[in-house]
Amino acid sequence: MSRAFQPLTIPASAGIGLRSPHISEMLTRRPSAGWLEVHAENYMGDGAGVDALEKLREIYPLSVHGVGLSLGSARGVDHDHLQRLRRVCERFQPDLVSEHLAWSVADGAYLNDLLPLRYDEEALAIVARNVETVQGTLKRQVLIENLSAYVAFADSSMNEAEFLAELVARTGCGLLLDVNNVQVSAHNLQYDAKAFIDALPAGSIGEIHLAGHATNQVGADTVLIDDHGSRVPPVVWTLYQHAIDRIGPRPTLIEWDTDVPVLDVLLGEAMWADMLTASIMFSRKQAARQAAAAKPRPMPTLLCFESARTSMPVLAAFAAAKARPVMPVALPPMEGGIPCCRLSICRPPWRARCSPWNQWSPRTC
Amino acid sequence: MARSVLAMEPMVASNMLTAGKADPLARLRIYQNNTRSSLTAVLMAVFPVTVRLVDERFFRFVASEFIRRHPPVESRLARYGAGFPRFLKTIDTLSDMPVVAETARLEWAIAEALDTASLQPRTLADYDKTDLGPSPDILLQPSLRLIVSHWSILSVWTAHQHGTAVDRHCTWTRRPERVALWRAGNSVRLVLLDRADFAFRHSLKHCLGLEHAASRAHALEPNFDLVSALVRLFADGLVTNVRITVPPLSN
Repeated sequence: MSRAFQPLTIPASAGIGLRSPHISEMLTRRPSAGWLEVHAENYMGDGAGVDALEKLREIYPLSVHGVGLSLGSARGVDHDHLQRLRRVCERFQPDLVSEHLAWSVADGAYLNDLLPLRYDEEALAIVARNVETVQGTLKRQVLIENLSAYVAFADSSMNEAEFLAELVARTGCGLLLDVNNVQVSAHNLQYDAKAFIDALPAGSIGEIHLAGHATNQVGADTVLIDDHGSRVPPVVWTLYQHAIDRIGPRPTLIEWDTDVPVLDVLLGEAMWADMLTASIMFSRKQAARQAAAAKPRPMPTLLCFESARTSMPVLAAFAAAKARPVMPVALPPMEGGIPCCRLSICRPPWRARCSPWNQWSPRTC
Repeated sequence: MARSVLAMEPMVASNMLTAGKADPLARLRIYQNNTRSSLTAVLMAVFPVTVRLVDERFFRFVASEFIRRHPPVESRLARYGAGFPRFLKTIDTLSDMPVVAETARLEWAIAEALDTASLQPRTLADYDKTDLGPSPDILLQPSLRLIVSHWSILSVWTAHQHGTAVDRHCTWTRRPERVALWRAGNSVRLVLLDRADFAFRHSLKHCLGLEHAASRAHALEPNFDLVSALVRLFADGLVTNVRITVPPLSN
């Protein structure tokens, strides 16, 4: 029987993907993490993980991320699987629910991978119908995630960003912008990653994913593999900065699925995401203040000054972290210039909700 | 394209796909590899002792064949692998090692139990002041699995747990073992049962009632101690409810 949980809104700050090696530590230590995301398919049974997630759901805002609906399937979504997803949502009452723009089921076989669609009118009608079925069943908006791809269909009549924008217009769904996926696909299929982000309807983006990828050399072909098995690389941080600059702060998830490190590494990555967002927003406010100062107005600027002060503690922590010598931990320092440090800022979960941006809600956009 | 990814059919026509300057068919093999390696990892996680019994490289080969012939039919991967023990029995190389498939059967039961609810157990004291009648229904934990094998599967499984030194020259003997296992929190408890206790728990698990369970156990072992068996059931935390059965009214 479902229990009633207090609604916990996911803040526009960083969270982490909950992985089984970390569950016990999360329960005992209850570290500062803005929010948690779980794969829906891992919680469709009745194992010990389900009991643990019920306990964690009392403390942390939750996002449920599906990987198995196969929204691109022409035969429609699997009714039984959709009902299982509905029960997961009823059980854990997540604040966000998301799935992928992909197909993974064909001829009764589940491939356990996310394959690309042909981006044309026919596929758009299929995916739109499936998304409407899902939203109708779950009685809520779902966020649809862009794909990491290694191939594309030669006869697509639109690109993925255009497809997603049209899907939003037709179904009212939101978007989950996976910045690592953008980087992987843009490199592999040779398009402009920033232009992809710019082409998405900014107001519909309700969540961002960050992750690492592997670089494989196959003959003359350098291919990026979306393995979620390393720290967020500098090129993805740069793209994330571009996204935040354009759309503003969003709930941002650190995903890590293979070679999962100790929990502190994930929390550290989440901290960097928060700090990067804070510094971008601080710079933006500073620029706005300078622009306002250049054009003197009769109104006093006290309100604006107070508003800017709300970002300072985080920025000060950022500066302090940069100035302080790096503390060694179990893992080697990150490659690419961002140092690895023990997560010394133990922000309690409720503090994340006091973020200056916690008013933003994807469903009100 | 799906059958290409599962390596069940030749690759799709290359002119259907594009991959920048790269060969699209080479890129399609990335999906093939992702599918095979991720599903192999699922099987290796479910059957760790089987992996050790046959060597990892051989396990990967067999898993690859299993995935190609029996891909998952749903995206709940906790349910993937049910047919793997039976598939192992069809592998010629393993025909003189039936203990491998039997141990895999035990490992699948463990995986099933771990994905099943663990209900609040009842104690004998809960029924101190209750008249349960002559033959109450005793409901057991839904995660309880009962396995009988002609091979010493629990001994094999135990010998391959972490921290246990495995005697590589040991030959596993043909010796029947009856195993009960159930989820206890984050782990699984496994116990060996004799014929009578196995029959007793088997009858209760299938809701045949206490009277039927006791008579089956007695038929196999005239000295079967019903009171001790009941106490063990409660002590193991296996009893989730005791229902009083109402005898049918006779006219």
